[in-house]
Amino acid sequence: MAVGLGLGVAILAAGLVVPYVVSSRYYMGLLLDGVILAILALSIGFLARHLGLISLGHTAFFGGAAYAVGIAITRWEMSPPVAFVVAVAIGTLIALIMGLLVVRATGMGFLMLTLALGQALYQFSTQRAAAPWTGAYDGLQITYASGASFLGLDRASLMNAALFWPVAWSALIACAVLMWLIGRSSFGTMLEGIRENEERMRFSGFDTFVPRLIAFVVSGFVASIGGALFALNASYVSPELLSFVKAGDALTAAIVGGLGILLGPILGAIVYIFAQARFNTSGNLHLYTGTALVLILMFLPGGIFGSIDKVIRKLLPRRRRESSGSEPDRTADGGPSETSREKGMTG
Amino acid sequence: MDLTQLLNGIAFGSLLMILSSGLAMIFGLRGVTNFAHGALYMAGAYIAFSVAKATSFWFALVVAPIGLAIIGAVLELVFFRRLQHRNHIEVGLITFGLAMIFERAVVLIWGEETHSVAPPALLEGTTNVFGTGYPTYRLAVIAVAIALALALGWWLNRTTSGLHVRAASHDVETSGILGINVDRVSLMVVCLGAGLAGLAGTLAAPYVSVYPAMGTTILIVVLIVVVVGGQGSIGGAMIAGMGLGVVQTVGSIWAPSLSVLVPYAALVVVLLWRPQGIAGKRV
Repeated sequence: MAVGLGLGVAILAAGLVVPYVVSSRYYMGLLLDGVILAILALSIGFLARHLGLISLGHTAFFGGAAYAVGIAITRWEMSPPVAFVVAVAIGTLIALIMGLLVVRATGMGFLMLTLALGQALYQFSTQRAAAPWTGAYDGLQITYASGASFLGLDRASLMNAALFWPVAWSALIACAVLMWLIGRSSFGTMLEGIRENEERMRFSGFDTFVPRLIAFVVSGFVASIGGALFALNASYVSPELLSFVKAGDALTAAIVGGLGILLGPILGAIVYIFAQARFNTSGNLHLYTGTALVLILMFLPGGIFGSIDKVIRKLLPRRRRESSGSEPDRTADGGPSETSREKGMTG
Repeated sequence: MDLTQLLNGIAFGSLLMILSSGLAMIFGLRGVTNFAHGALYMAGAYIAFSVAKATSFWFALVVAPIGLAIIGAVLELVFFRRLQHRNHIEVGLITFGLAMIFERAVVLIWGEETHSVAPPALLEGTTNVFGTGYPTYRLAVIAVAIALALALGWWLNRTTSGLHVRAASHDVETSGILGINVDRVSLMVVCLGAGLAGLAGTLAAPYVSVYPAMGTTILIVVLIVVVVGGQGSIGGAMIAGMGLGVVQTVGSIWAPSLSVLVPYAALVVVLLWRPQGIAGKRV
């Protein structure tokens, strides 16, 4: 564990150098977008890896927290740090409420329920009844009281990718370390037990509802952090943040990187943002996104990281034997043994 | 309650019924939630628009469902059959990617703008229903949906091939062992499901306009209908589709701005009451 935490600190420190190395404002902006999308993708990957649950509703927490930042600063005139805390709390609360309704479901049922409930929030945000808070389809421009700042950054600095970078990067690493620690704790082991065979866990005397709910809320908490940071940086929130297209983007990013490993969604998000910037110029972004999603799911089921891992295992047969004894081979096609058709995806 | 509004609700419910029965059928047999179902509906509407413009609406009514059935065959042969041993969620997400591709392809072919299709001359104008004039075309849509529901019910419950579909939806492996050609049954069902999406798109073209996002907009409602009806239950999907169509349309009179939230509210209420949906897991 000490080695892992040391590695986390080292990656944190290494990442902080980025604004000094990348001089282009354009690339700095893309990297920052990638980091914020990575936080969302990370939270989706966490549920997929530990519970085999794929969510299309995480935009409710991401977008919910982003709106909460906007509303708290602009309408309730809170200071940005307080608004940030309130927003993350609101996003997490939405996760708790949604979790109570959905965590009993598995597989496709879970995916469809999260999609529908996330979409309900999107629909609500665009209603005329909600316009005084959300600005309906126009979105909400975040306006600060004079002298307001967040960790010493005023509005202009928050919108500057190079200056905002340390905040976003530290948050990403903190979230990744949090998820890594949860994953290797006894709680994480219990989650894996539930993923592998929920019934057996229940018969062994474990309550499976509460651990699932906790994992869902933790995942929602991380997505909320991403959303709140997004709103501070963009200074503008729009219904698009809550739509299932955004959820599809984050999920695609996580799948491209690989759901089987903690770092997969982070890498996927950064690749995704750069690919998006490149494809967007042609106006056919969704054509390429869709094609990438189809091809990766068909031919590289473990995503980029999963495939690299598979190649390494093939080249090093000894290592394969050693590691397959201690932990299940999660990167092979389709993940752990599939016992029922409702089984979630982990690979 | 206003009779016109009720009929509007039934007409919208009819479309939802046709779409959700196809989606539920594919789910029952392949275990895959076809996220491209909305895109198939949209493609059906666009094909109908082009064919109706070139020839007549009646011809479109034949061509669009057949065209979509062929796309369904491709879906089955390239994705569902080849990937049947893979995780169903992964296959579902592939259809999600396909939906993105379809939507963009439609924009590239037909453009972003909204198109409209005129109903055929025979069905223009209004018909007197209990003293109220109501568009004849919408009554025809309702009639088609009722006829389809009866035909599907008869096919599934009274014929041998329907029995095979029910058996394969219940347990693919055992059905195969008992001598049912599961591959042929699923090809038939996926073609039929996609063809029904094409039919729904054609029927929708004259009274909701034809635009690229129409599939995405309706997909979520249809997914909710299938969950509310009970995943894999065709009868449940039909009942839930009609119910939601009526409740949403009629609800729009009392609370216009909140009626779009009706499906989501229905979803939550039904799931708290019966997590398996109103018709459980039977076909």
